[in-house]
Amino acid sequence: MSVDTTPTPVRSSWRMPNWLESILGQLIALGIAIIGGAILIILVGEDPILVFTTLLRGAFGNSERIAGSLLQATPIIIAGVAACIALRGGLFNIGVEGQLYMGGFAAAFVGFQFALPAGLHMLVALAAAVVAGGLWILIPAFFRARFGTNEVVSTILSNYVAILLTSYLTIDVFKRPGGWSETDPVATTAYLPQLFEFSRLNFGLFIGLALAVGFHLFLTRTSAGYGMNTMGANMKFAEYGGIAVKRNILIILLCSGAVGGLAGGVETLGVHHRFMEGFAPGFGFDGVIAALLANGSPIGVIFTALFFGALRAGSLLMEVETNASREVITVFQAIIILCVSAQILLRRRRDSSQGERRWKF
Amino acid sequence: MAFAVEMVGVSKSFGPVAANKDVSFGARKGEIHALVGENGAGKTTLMNILFGLMQPDSGEIRIDGKPVVMDSPRTSIGLGLGMVHQHFKLVPSLTVAENIFLGMEITKAGLVDRKAQSDKARALSEEFGLQIDPDRKIHELSVGAEQRVEILKVLARGAKVVILDEPTAVLTPQESRDLFRIIRRFADAGMTVIFISHHLDEVLEVSDTVTVLRDGAVVGTRPTKELDEDTLVKMMVGRSVNFDRRARKEISGETVLELREIFARDDRGLPALRDVSLKVRAGEIVGIVGVDGNGQTELAEVVSGLRAPSHGEIFLDGKAVEGSDPRHMREAGLAHVPADRLVRGVNAGASISANILMGRQQEAPLAQNGLIRWGKVREFARELMQRFDIRAKDETIAVKTLSGGNMQKVVVAREFSQHMPLLLIDQPTRGVDIGAMERIHDEIVTRRDAGAAILLISVQIDEILALADRVLVMFAGGISGEVDPTTTTEEEIGHLMAGGSRNREAAA
Repeated sequence: MSVDTTPTPVRSSWRMPNWLESILGQLIALGIAIIGGAILIILVGEDPILVFTTLLRGAFGNSERIAGSLLQATPIIIAGVAACIALRGGLFNIGVEGQLYMGGFAAAFVGFQFALPAGLHMLVALAAAVVAGGLWILIPAFFRARFGTNEVVSTILSNYVAILLTSYLTIDVFKRPGGWSETDPVATTAYLPQLFEFSRLNFGLFIGLALAVGFHLFLTRTSAGYGMNTMGANMKFAEYGGIAVKRNILIILLCSGAVGGLAGGVETLGVHHRFMEGFAPGFGFDGVIAALLANGSPIGVIFTALFFGALRAGSLLMEVETNASREVITVFQAIIILCVSAQILLRRRRDSSQGERRWKF
Repeated sequence: MAFAVEMVGVSKSFGPVAANKDVSFGARKGEIHALVGENGAGKTTLMNILFGLMQPDSGEIRIDGKPVVMDSPRTSIGLGLGMVHQHFKLVPSLTVAENIFLGMEITKAGLVDRKAQSDKARALSEEFGLQIDPDRKIHELSVGAEQRVEILKVLARGAKVVILDEPTAVLTPQESRDLFRIIRRFADAGMTVIFISHHLDEVLEVSDTVTVLRDGAVVGTRPTKELDEDTLVKMMVGRSVNFDRRARKEISGETVLELREIFARDDRGLPALRDVSLKVRAGEIVGIVGVDGNGQTELAEVVSGLRAPSHGEIFLDGKAVEGSDPRHMREAGLAHVPADRLVRGVNAGASISANILMGRQQEAPLAQNGLIRWGKVREFARELMQRFDIRAKDETIAVKTLSGGNMQKVVVAREFSQHMPLLLIDQPTRGVDIGAMERIHDEIVTRRDAGAAILLISVQIDEILALADRVLVMFAGGISGEVDPTTTTEEEIGHLMAGGSRNREAAA
């Protein structure tokens, strides 16, 4: 192969540090999303200023609402860390939603099926969620590691199976007597402790924060984290350098799936205290987007997830008090995703000469 | 007779590097003109200038004797030039005819006239014996057929001068022969073919005239019938900087690396290594030379565990190596400087210290109890920067901001400082300036004198002759001979690089 080496001209001009560029990019994305959302709101005949202030009030208006935002953010943080784990290892886990459903069901099952002492019961139920999430990604992970099957496709597809399988289990096998599509309630011994009287906000938030910080420390401080980070940055370099790439692909995806399962367990044991069909609409997907938006940084995920949580919480009040529907929020998120994907593409094009490959759609 | 296409005094620089220096050459009507040279000799840059993809710093292009300005590929196509690139640009889900006429569709009443496109494509294909069914989808075609579609695209745009950039790189030998037959028909029809290659046998087989480029400048233009492979090799490889021969010790070390009857296939599944056996002893540098693309890449990949051989055995310290795994090879004592530092050698976005850490992240003193001691890592990185003369502001800056030479020194520093008993060094000084080159050569000799077994692969013959204790010459995936670097002549090496008399018969 003769690709004549064309040296890149030396550029001496100052280049923005990566983190600053990244944050600036997100702010621009946010700005475009606000403008786009405003246009949409005007089109449906509402006052965008009113809608946005209602949204803000709904998210942060009083301590109860702030707790509501944090409550919504909790599963997104955990699901976001799950997605980050895959991203930083140079992989994709778009199946967080499915793992979350499986984890949620497993935790509920342990919660209503067994009688254990308080606290222990909760831990066993969370462990079951972790195992269920890990098992749910096992097939995509194995095929990725062994045969190089594209994990994006296989994890996406596993979502549908999980959602429908838990739906079947809930409606047919473990259905509680009565009209609802839900299982028996979880024993109180398995509840995640609530933080305040006035909100369902629970200990899960701290689990999410601890996971994010813990994963950050893992990446920056440990030998194994170094290897994983290197795989994400340049898989060929990692392979050449003697990192057990195939084995690590399996481990990374399993961990990602396990954390995805934990997100479901936390939601079940902390909020609903039973498994309900369709109990967690889109938390897993929001987590993936939060992770992409944070460029794979677990600390960044805390903030992007809080943002998404606030949007979700705020949209409740917005729907009550104005004529704008919750779909405005979806459009809002969609515009942000478009802007961020565009940035990723641009960055990838710029870096392609350097052999980098973190994003590989 | 005037030249159909001519380049006069063309120069082009990228920053401080001159890719083309005062290049002049011309090709006549009805002629197959080969442009040969090693990787980096400037062939592709020159053709990009001719095709209007790049602008020269100085010099002139003439078509049929008239000066023209090639400001874009559109202009050059308008002037009857057509280029078939190494990498195909076809839409896999469209048919052959749709691809050929993409952007210049034949229309009837505002709609695409598929029938007319198909007929015209078929007529063109038959005229030159291309054997392409215009109604097949691209994704159903073989690589060779895809290339013929690219050629059809060029013909459909009315090309009188066809430029083929390394056309045989992706082809099987049978497909290559078909291609040669086709381009001979072009020449017979009065067209001009410019054929870029570094495979000498092909050049001699197919071309009428050869222009050799080396280091961006023309070495000479000669009729093919006056040339043979040995002469061509000599012209291509040339006689550049003569390094001093380094002092040698008597070699008495044990065999560290042994390859026995290694066969391997390349990425396309074609045989790339044929029956390679070699030994490298402790305290010895074994050099591998050959025209680029004769199996050196695959040899390095097999030794480093990145490519599994299809047959044969590898022994490290007398023990057979099982499986093919870079990690396993490293644990067994291999350090490796890869040929392409940006693809494999570094994590470009990470700091110098993070790159130096690779391979040491598990052990003391840079790690303890699974935790990385970044303070120690940075200290160690600073130490290596000092010792290997890596010029950078400090150890925290990203490797991608370094010059090629300094980046290579990061790789060399990391690998050499591991003090492994076996060193595989592939193109140690590619794209590196003279200062860095000498520094790297010194380090190679230091490691040899410290008792390392070194397998050194380079396309720079001078480098190999200066450093190696024994030299093996590769040709067509096999070892065509061994020479003693202290007594060998350019003629001897050139002869072996072109296959040698013995092997040429065997290969035929």
